[in-house]
Amino acid sequence: MTRRSTSRGSALAHRQAALLRLTTRIVSAHTEDDIYRAMVDGLHDEAIGYSFLGAFIIDPKNGDRVLRASAGWPDAPENWRVHKGEGISERAVEDGTLHYTPDVTRESRYLPSRVRGSEVDIPLRIDGETIGVLVVESDERDAFDEEDFEILEAAVDQASIAIARVRLLEAERRRADEHKALLDTLADLSSELELSRVLQAVIDRAVTQLGVSGGEVAIYDEERGELVVVASRSVGKDSTGTRLKLDEGAMGAVARSLEPLIIPSYHEWMGRSEKYSDVMVHSVMAAPLLIGRRLVGAIATVHSDPDHVFIEEDLRLLNMFAPQAAIAIENARLYTEARRQREYFESLVLNSPVAIVSLGLDHEVVSCNPAFEKLFGYSSAEAVGRPLDDLISTADTRSEAEAYTREAFDHAVHGIGRRRRKDGAFVDVEILGVPVDVEGERLGLMGLYHDITELLEARRDAEAANSAKSQFLANMSHELRTPLNAIIGYSEMLQEEVADLGQTELVPDLGKIHTAGRHLLALINDVLDLSKIEAGKMELYLEEFDIRQMIDDVASTARPLIEKNANHFAVSCPAGVGKMQGDLTKIRQMLLNLLSNSSKFTSQGKIGLEVARERNGGDETLVFRVRDTGIGMTAEQQQKVFEAFAQAETSTARRFGGTGLGLAISKRFCEMMGGGIELESEPGGGSTFTIRLPTAAGAAAEPNAEEEEVA
Amino acid sequence: MTRILLVEDNEMNRDMLSRRLARKGYDVALAIDGRQGVEMAQTMDYDLVLMDMSLPEVDGWDATRQLKADPATEALPIIALTAHAMSGDREKALEAGCDDYDTKPIEMERLLGKMEALLARSGGAKP
Repeated sequence: MTRRSTSRGSALAHRQAALLRLTTRIVSAHTEDDIYRAMVDGLHDEAIGYSFLGAFIIDPKNGDRVLRASAGWPDAPENWRVHKGEGISERAVEDGTLHYTPDVTRESRYLPSRVRGSEVDIPLRIDGETIGVLVVESDERDAFDEEDFEILEAAVDQASIAIARVRLLEAERRRADEHKALLDTLADLSSELELSRVLQAVIDRAVTQLGVSGGEVAIYDEERGELVVVASRSVGKDSTGTRLKLDEGAMGAVARSLEPLIIPSYHEWMGRSEKYSDVMVHSVMAAPLLIGRRLVGAIATVHSDPDHVFIEEDLRLLNMFAPQAAIAIENARLYTEARRQREYFESLVLNSPVAIVSLGLDHEVVSCNPAFEKLFGYSSAEAVGRPLDDLISTADTRSEAEAYTREAFDHAVHGIGRRRRKDGAFVDVEILGVPVDVEGERLGLMGLYHDITELLEARRDAEAANSAKSQFLANMSHELRTPLNAIIGYSEMLQEEVADLGQTELVPDLGKIHTAGRHLLALINDVLDLSKIEAGKMELYLEEFDIRQMIDDVASTARPLIEKNANHFAVSCPAGVGKMQGDLTKIRQMLLNLLSNSSKFTSQGKIGLEVARERNGGDETLVFRVRDTGIGMTAEQQQKVFEAFAQAETSTARRFGGTGLGLAISKRFCEMMGGGIELESEPGGGSTFTIRLPTAAGAAAEPNAEEEEVA
Repeated sequence: MTRILLVEDNEMNRDMLSRRLARKGYDVALAIDGRQGVEMAQTMDYDLVLMDMSLPEVDGWDATRQLKADPATEALPIIALTAHAMSGDREKALEAGCDDYDTKPIEMERLLGKMEALLARSGGAKP
């Protein structure tokens, strides 16, 4: 041993200088491997005579000692391993202290090697835990002494401190990386809404971070109870689209159990899926993707290298990615649902025949639908960003339109108005404006415009036509009445004259002309009345009158007609019935019409006219009832009797005369006066018509007429 | 003999009513429009005027107002003859100053009743 030739004193100085150089080399190393190399090379350079130096680090997965740096073994294989429980250096690992073996060949654990001398093993310890061992060998037997032990232990101490420091930094850096990866993933979630792309990003990151060879993410298809692989990286084939039932394969297993799982050897595992029989997978780690306890998918990572197995530490890392993937799936589901709803409503708006426009709080158009473009002639691009009232209102309607808009920001408004198209033409529209609130915040308003131009035109046309009809009828009535007056007047006059001349045989024929003329006149008057009622031109002339007097008058007028068919006529009117306010002429006309009807359809029977006051709550009503024992009506006839030109049968009109308009007119007169008319009848059992009128008829409907009349 | 002024533009109505009144013993003078009616009433002496309302030149309402505004004719009874019991025609006639009204076609008995009532009130003689 050449080094033993140095003197004792200079040896100490030499050793101290060597240790200083060694420490400097170790401290200036920045990675674990650099530290191992610095320690091994430094010792080798300083202490000539060590034939082999090796830094073995324990693999935490299996306890093997892996050669990370060596000196004196030029062709040492990279990551050369000594299995756990084998080799002399195992003892130092086991008890954490320095072991000296003066003659390795006599040691039971000796693995035959190039070196056949002595060996020192010094454990590398950090925080009381042995992480590896420095093996120093010499070709000679018993080549080491206390000085060697001292310098070797000093070097190992320095290296241990340096490794602890580097590992601390490494852990810090890894935590920082994990944090960044997490942030990156979250950023992806908000920017990339396409689910498979997000999940691909998640699995890419997980594979990188975990240092595994590949991985997959699957979504749980709730409807079919299956997992569908949507993102895959380096599992030996493109597994995207693969469907896995619950319990099928690693992801199927965790989807069932809802617990993570490590499978050391996939191809020997009972639960393996045939779908993965052709891929290079050795060990697998899988975890369910959960939102609460609800399964949304599964994630798996694989090692294809048989030397790599998963440990609990890897699960911890995987569990950092699983919630991100789960949230991504859930977000995508919610997003898809929201998009479907939005698309549904957008399609409603898009296809609506009603023009729809939405305004922001600044009254500017935010969007409008094709019906709006069509109705107002502005393209969406032209309308958006401009105040709505600038677009579709005119100087005339501006303030009205603005009032609508203002009001609609507060509450729903509904109305009819006239708006302007881009080409200047006007459109009549039904308008509905409603405020738009999202999550309690007022965002603007929505305006709906329904084109009613045609509707209004049709109404105007109809009104004009109706008015023209009424005017025509009025004119016709007048034009007919003039010659009719001559017919009625001359026939009546001739009756008088021929009677005076003694030619009485001509009187009946002249009487027929006269009667026919009167009937025609009645018909014309009724038609005119109806047309006036329908045109809304019939007016009420209200006056206060004595009821009894009116009834007596009506009774005396009707009596001859009633008694002509041998009917008994009974009038019942209380003496103190008093006065009422109404249109006397119309009430007389109605009662005479009812009595005239009864007398036509009753013979040798009874006809009654009854009057009474009825109190119903606070309102007093006058009841006029005309009762007969005549032929009566079927239910079907009763339904039609108040319709114009609806005598029970056309033959009836021929047999009994009358215009067929009297009841229709009476019904409308009653309604105008705030009352009504009812009928009770049965075939062969007579008919009873009941008119009910307020004691102050039409007072509410025609206050002005009433005042005039009273004054 | 009671003198009646009939203001009526329709020839047949004029002929018919004047003949029937004459047969009842009235002395009937005829005017064919409102203007002529007013002139005749103001220049001649009549006991009663039967005034059609729809008249050319000056209508019956105007003619009535003119006669009622003239102290010489304000006491002359006027009966309005309206084409139909048109709502409003009666009120318009009474408003213009007519003393009564009747509707066409004329029912002789009814008209004679109204004429007699007015003549009695104004002290005019029965035919």
